[in-house]
Amino acid sequence: MKAQPVVRRGNPGKGFLTYLGERWSGFFLILLLVVFSLIGRNFFAVRNFSNILYFATIYLLLAAGETFVIITGGIDLSVGFVMGLVMVVSAIIMRDMFAAGQPVALCMVVGSIVGLALGVIPGLINGILVARFRVPPFIATLGMYGVANGITLNLCQGFPIYFLPPQVERLGNSFVAYFLPGRGVTFFQKPPNIAPEDIRNIVGIVPLTVLITAIIVAIFAFVLVRTKFGRHTFAIGGSMDAALRAGINVPRHLVKIYILSSLFAAAAGVIYVFRAGIGHFTTISSSYELFAIAGVVIGGASMMGGKGSIWGAVIGVLILNVLENGLNIAGLQAFYRYIAVGVILIAAVVIDQLTPERRTRSV
Amino acid sequence: MSDTVALNKKRHNAGGWLGRNWALLFLLLEVVAFTGMGTHFYSLENIQNIFVACTTILLLGVGQTFVIITGGIDLSVGFVMGFSTVICAKFMVLLLSAGLPEPAVIFFGILICLAIGLIPGFVNGTLVARLKVPPFLATFGTYGIAYGFAEIICNNTPITGLPAGAGTIGNEYFFYIVPGKLFSFLARPQNLTRLELRSMITIIPIIVVIGFVAVGIFGFVLRRTRFGRHTYAIGGSVDAATRAGINIPRHLTAVYMISSFFAALAGVMFVLRYVSGTADAGSSLTMDAVVAVVIGGASLYGGRGTVKGTLIGALIIAVLETGMVNLGIPTFNRYIAIGGILILAVLIDQFFPDLVGKG
Repeated sequence: MKAQPVVRRGNPGKGFLTYLGERWSGFFLILLLVVFSLIGRNFFAVRNFSNILYFATIYLLLAAGETFVIITGGIDLSVGFVMGLVMVVSAIIMRDMFAAGQPVALCMVVGSIVGLALGVIPGLINGILVARFRVPPFIATLGMYGVANGITLNLCQGFPIYFLPPQVERLGNSFVAYFLPGRGVTFFQKPPNIAPEDIRNIVGIVPLTVLITAIIVAIFAFVLVRTKFGRHTFAIGGSMDAALRAGINVPRHLVKIYILSSLFAAAAGVIYVFRAGIGHFTTISSSYELFAIAGVVIGGASMMGGKGSIWGAVIGVLILNVLENGLNIAGLQAFYRYIAVGVILIAAVVIDQLTPERRTRSV
Repeated sequence: MSDTVALNKKRHNAGGWLGRNWALLFLLLEVVAFTGMGTHFYSLENIQNIFVACTTILLLGVGQTFVIITGGIDLSVGFVMGFSTVICAKFMVLLLSAGLPEPAVIFFGILICLAIGLIPGFVNGTLVARLKVPPFLATFGTYGIAYGFAEIICNNTPITGLPAGAGTIGNEYFFYIVPGKLFSFLARPQNLTRLELRSMITIIPIIVVIGFVAVGIFGFVLRRTRFGRHTYAIGGSVDAATRAGINIPRHLTAVYMISSFFAALAGVMFVLRYVSGTADAGSSLTMDAVVAVVIGGASLYGGRGTVKGTLIGALIIAVLETGMVNLGIPTFNRYIAIGGILILAVLIDQFFPDLVGKG
């Protein structure tokens, strides 16, 4: 069961069902888009699509980091609370520096960098526990989940951090380009001297946070597929023994993987601060880590390791976010989302089990 | 020469005992530390508070023990508990408005809730055992489904308007003693002056007793019956268990149903104690339950774990929580402490594999 071949690309001899089974998540995403476009008013609109992406950024980053961990056969449950810790710490730094009269740009840069740097620590601890002390990943990261949550709540005393420089939120909600009918496109800034009646007509194209997220995700999708780092990740997940025999320094690689996952969580936290303009802490019932894992698995990764892709995870996360947005627009209560996520997640794994290739493999 | 061997052996035995019982020692250490620092830690009231706090974690933990011994995990328990509080409260309200007498309302409310509580377990078990879905994902799926249904049924607001009698069971004690005046069994004495009320001593909360009876029964099942032996066998090696003729799909389904039954029972306890039902009643308790089981010496790889160990794990968490409240330490720190203890538990397990043994 564990000693599976590393990755297998589809070979031409396979039937239609296998083809469909392997790419069902992509088809399902398209199906969702079509259905919601037909039933939901205002679903099919540039503004709504950029809205979906805008809310998906956090999950995309968490899921991209989680993909690396899951491919090695591990799991990182701490990402949600690491993100919360980073949000609170970088918000506190921005608030205090702003209150001390430092220039706004410096506040933002220092807050973001410290937040990202802080993200290394939980990952390092997780990695050392998993790789050197052989603590099961579930337990090690569950411990970090508690520790990060506790430290966060101590720092913020159970309240969000307010009074950040207002420019933070403005930057986090800006767009790459603005289109005003009749005046053309401007980049990174709203067109100057707009008449008050025109403000409503400005269309923002691609939120800045989405662009940054897309760049980060694309870089690591490349890293996973095309570099030695990525190949080693798959090798460890395919078979730990084989990876060791092949001369990969497995403990060191695993530590790097957990640091990477934690860094992605930190990046998600920094982006969240810019988006919200306040430093939220993570509540237990928000379950960021579980939605990220669900996205990765819907995208075709196996919890056994050795299988998964960043683009799959992106599709998985988009399915969850399109679903939430579409149900919302269709006027259903937000809680139907939880039911839908549960059903799709289970369906994803069952489909994975039933595709012919899988069936022969797992026996 | 032979002396040193004997000495080594003796030391090894002492170390072995330590390794096997470090959780118990840790619990004692915790009690001693809080007694030294805290005020009224040893009061009767505080000790009962600890047991009340531990009951819910213990109930979820015992179900989880069965699942973890088979090598699985049940992430849905916290939200199945919330779902059950909503179902229980909703049915009590419905039956009450249908005009049933109060005891019947409470009785049938609980019964329906426990019966419906088996469904998530059946779904989990079927997915894991027959469709080969990894337990982590199957139970995460039911977690979402249970939470979604619970929120929709209760409309995102706690359900109230339950029969008042429900609260008396959950908040009653076995004995009431007013020193020098009266001694009452099960019934809260009426017509007391305020001074007498304040001096009244209450002993043994009823829900703790109900909880511990259920836990005791399943502790016996795990330790002494064929069902329990089969559970360990599946966790030890699925192949060997299959060859030994155990019907694994059926057994695993039963195990997940036990876990979900305990979650429903914890939900009933919540309703009886707080006389309301809410979807996130148990949201933070899933992790607490897993932590209690792991501190108690179970292995996530299956084949190891005991109900007694889970009891100690649940008590460690409950003592920590109560002690921190007594000392006025912000409760946020409990998360750090529990996370730390969890990692410590596994590290001890890793560093002293021979000492901990297979029990």
